[in-house]
Amino acid sequence: MNKEPLLKVEKLSVTFFTPRGTVIAVREASFEVSRGEVLGIVGESGCGKSTAAFAVMGYLPTTAEIGGSISFEGRDISTLSKKDLRELRGNRIAMVYQDPTTSLNPSMKIGPQVQEVISEHLNLDQTDIDKKVVELFESVGLADADQVGNRYPHELSGGMQQRVMIAMALACDPDLLIMDEPTTGLDVTTEATILDLVASLKKRVNAGILYVTHNLGVMARVADRVAVMYAGQTVEQSNVNDLFASPKHPYTSGLLSCVPKPPGAGEVSSRLKRIPGFVYSSQESDVSSCLFAERCPLADSECTTSAPALEFIGQDSQVRCFHSDKVEPDTWGAAEERISRKDVVSPIVLTGTGITHEYGKRQKKYMAFGPEMDLPVRALNKIDFEIPQGKTLGIVGESGSGKSTLARAVVGLVKAKDGSLQLHGNELDKTVENRSNENKSAIQMVFQNPTASLNPKLKIKKTLIRSLMRFSKLTKQGSEERAAALMEEVGLDLSYLERLPSELSGGEQQRVAIAGAFATNPEIVVADEAVSALDVSVQAQVLGLLEDRQQELGNSYLFITHDLGVVRYVSDDIMVVYAGHIAEYGPSEAVLSSPSHPYTEALLSAAPIPDPSAKPNPLRLEGAVPTMREEFTGCFFASRCPRKLGSVCDTEAPPVQKISTNEPHVINCHIPVDDLAKIQA
Amino acid sequence: MGLDRHPVERYAVWIKNAVRGDLGMAARGGATINSMVKSRLPNSALLAVVAFLIAVPTSLFAGVLAGTRPDTKLDRILSIGSLLAISIPEFIIGVILMMVFATKLGWFPSSSILLPGESILGSPKILVLPTLTITGALFAYILRMARANVIEVMESNYVRTAILKGLSMRRVVFKHVLPNAMIPTITVIANNVGWMFGGIIVVEFVFAYPGIGSLLIMAIDTRDMRLLQSTALVIAAIYAFANLAADLLYGLLNPRVRVGQ
Repeated sequence: MNKEPLLKVEKLSVTFFTPRGTVIAVREASFEVSRGEVLGIVGESGCGKSTAAFAVMGYLPTTAEIGGSISFEGRDISTLSKKDLRELRGNRIAMVYQDPTTSLNPSMKIGPQVQEVISEHLNLDQTDIDKKVVELFESVGLADADQVGNRYPHELSGGMQQRVMIAMALACDPDLLIMDEPTTGLDVTTEATILDLVASLKKRVNAGILYVTHNLGVMARVADRVAVMYAGQTVEQSNVNDLFASPKHPYTSGLLSCVPKPPGAGEVSSRLKRIPGFVYSSQESDVSSCLFAERCPLADSECTTSAPALEFIGQDSQVRCFHSDKVEPDTWGAAEERISRKDVVSPIVLTGTGITHEYGKRQKKYMAFGPEMDLPVRALNKIDFEIPQGKTLGIVGESGSGKSTLARAVVGLVKAKDGSLQLHGNELDKTVENRSNENKSAIQMVFQNPTASLNPKLKIKKTLIRSLMRFSKLTKQGSEERAAALMEEVGLDLSYLERLPSELSGGEQQRVAIAGAFATNPEIVVADEAVSALDVSVQAQVLGLLEDRQQELGNSYLFITHDLGVVRYVSDDIMVVYAGHIAEYGPSEAVLSSPSHPYTEALLSAAPIPDPSAKPNPLRLEGAVPTMREEFTGCFFASRCPRKLGSVCDTEAPPVQKISTNEPHVINCHIPVDDLAKIQA
Repeated sequence: MGLDRHPVERYAVWIKNAVRGDLGMAARGGATINSMVKSRLPNSALLAVVAFLIAVPTSLFAGVLAGTRPDTKLDRILSIGSLLAISIPEFIIGVILMMVFATKLGWFPSSSILLPGESILGSPKILVLPTLTITGALFAYILRMARANVIEVMESNYVRTAILKGLSMRRVVFKHVLPNAMIPTITVIANNVGWMFGGIIVVEFVFAYPGIGSLLIMAIDTRDMRLLQSTALVIAAIYAFANLAADLLYGLLNPRVRVGQ
């Protein structure tokens, strides 16, 4: 094949001059997209993926300095006039963005928002345009396609909004479609339906697709070829199967080995590998060495004195490394075996019984009279759980399923309406204010967003010493020593004690937050999406850290996440929650294998698998978790259940069924276990 | 007047009558307060409406102009000019205008004395200087609001979407920026109708303009408690209605606030 690629980006560099210094967002990005293929760009945050994508659209601030070339069908984007650029945008090159909610005009109906692209670029009369909009809405799988155009963006769910964005991008049959993290921030179930749509587009439209994501599972699902970016450089480019099977760059290999494997792979037998350190800073302008050298296990003197170039190592693959021939499965260390805790019986630390919570108050329409308005939201409904000592209970579910409310009820940040919590058999007060100091220090929490949960005005030392002096009854001197010890335990340099949170990266901040949680020698640490906002390499570091702490101190975790790979990796037991109800509860391995509750099944089939040869399970859930307000009699999952039996699901609450006789594994479902096993086989 | 009765009782009686639309008699002159308010209110309304009609469109236009070209020369001039205009109180602007256009140039009258039976519309010249004074501060205030909102919306993701749809800048501004930037701006304007009435009182006094504001001042001068109560009530009512209108307008403009069918 000797045809000119649709898009050819060569040695692209983008530099921003900001008041706070020069930021080199892209250093040397080179990639090509041909018609009919999906090129995935993958890398951690700060690697310049999105900047490169916006550069292709010719959309960068006027202060940006751009080097190299971007040629679209042989024309250099940077030399185009404003008018020519306008003719390309939305017409020949269209883009889908990360956050559909803010990317749609909130005060305009979605129909006209799609229409205006068509009327801008195509010469059609109004009736044809109207017809085309309906067709577009149908083609992206929006229900009620001829009416949906009359709705405003806020009346649609996140998944539907993203479908509208995709319809808008497809409106003029573009030659190149750029998708910048289109499923990031959406629930796994919604993500799966959007990925299905992208996969079908690949067959249907004769366009090249540039797909930017940090998620290797998503990449494996949609891409034909993959370009890996690190610190603004393309470090490896290859077709998707080769890249996942035998990565040639140590960074790619590291990324692949630090992602927790998805469910279905049996018991977790080895620990996650970790890439040490952090992404090469974009403020650094020195490029006389390999930028990955300081984190690379293969680095030698050659790597620190000269910079490798992107070179072909096969017909279709390029790599930027002196030692690509030495990259092997063991590059990042031999598999570290993990001691199985499966058969260890340990005493129960924390028991929750019948925890129920509602948000909002009952209100009447006219003060004290009239019909009831805005019934309270039933966030949790009779949740029972047990956490054994030294073990981890994982909680999974989509957003809105009540995971975080449960975490907050356990630490006492929300006062549960009903139910009881017992620590070693002693009743805990529902609110944190009324708990004794010992009980407060026994249950600690790590939040999702470390930037927002650390006091920005307080040095790290102060943050740690405060809780040490309060809970450990140490002197100032003693707590300073302990703070230093904590920093060492979470793998941070002691100089960090004198810094403010804003001087730390997200991963470092989360380490500080973990150090703070462990300052009180807690028995239970509640981790609410503690690794969700972190890059995969940092996520692996933090997961490893949490694991080390548990092995040394024997504490338990209540681990909340939406990522099934992560939950499989950390948990001994898993609770699957939906709309405030327990769908399934049991030992981790058993929950993640069939037979399982239809909701667990749907979550499992939606989870993207970082293996391009994996066959996607077609079971999908549409829509979002309903907000439970009214009293209802049937099954909590009936409205979305893909395996609904019939009217019994609408009228009767599901029975608790034991899956096996020798394990405490239950599901709340009407379908007999044997039947489930047959359907899911 | 019932001066022999307890002040609280007198107040209760006044309220009872005021609710029925009867504000009672003024202390001097033998006229009913109703008739005084009736003859003065249209004059004030005229002043406010004319000032509004001039200030709102021009300041919105200037604000959008500045907001779509932040940090250009035009934007700087408009921003600094508006800051100046906001910091000078109305009575000083009024006096300066009076000195220049009435005393020095003699183009417009400095005070708005009307002969009995004469209407403002009969001699529109007297409207010019009071209107200009009110317009000045209002113009600056709205301009700053519009500019800030336009700049904020210009940086939003949906405007990025609109630009990358390949739309012309004109269409981006008119279809995507303005409707969203105007929602908060218009609400602020409507909320300021009440605030503007405070300015009107001062301006009417400076120009001896026969409106509700100078009636209020007159009531203070003559220690006419009942007249003072009544004019304050009228002004407060206007203020409340303006704010109600602002809230309704916001709901009308913003689809997210609108109640579902």
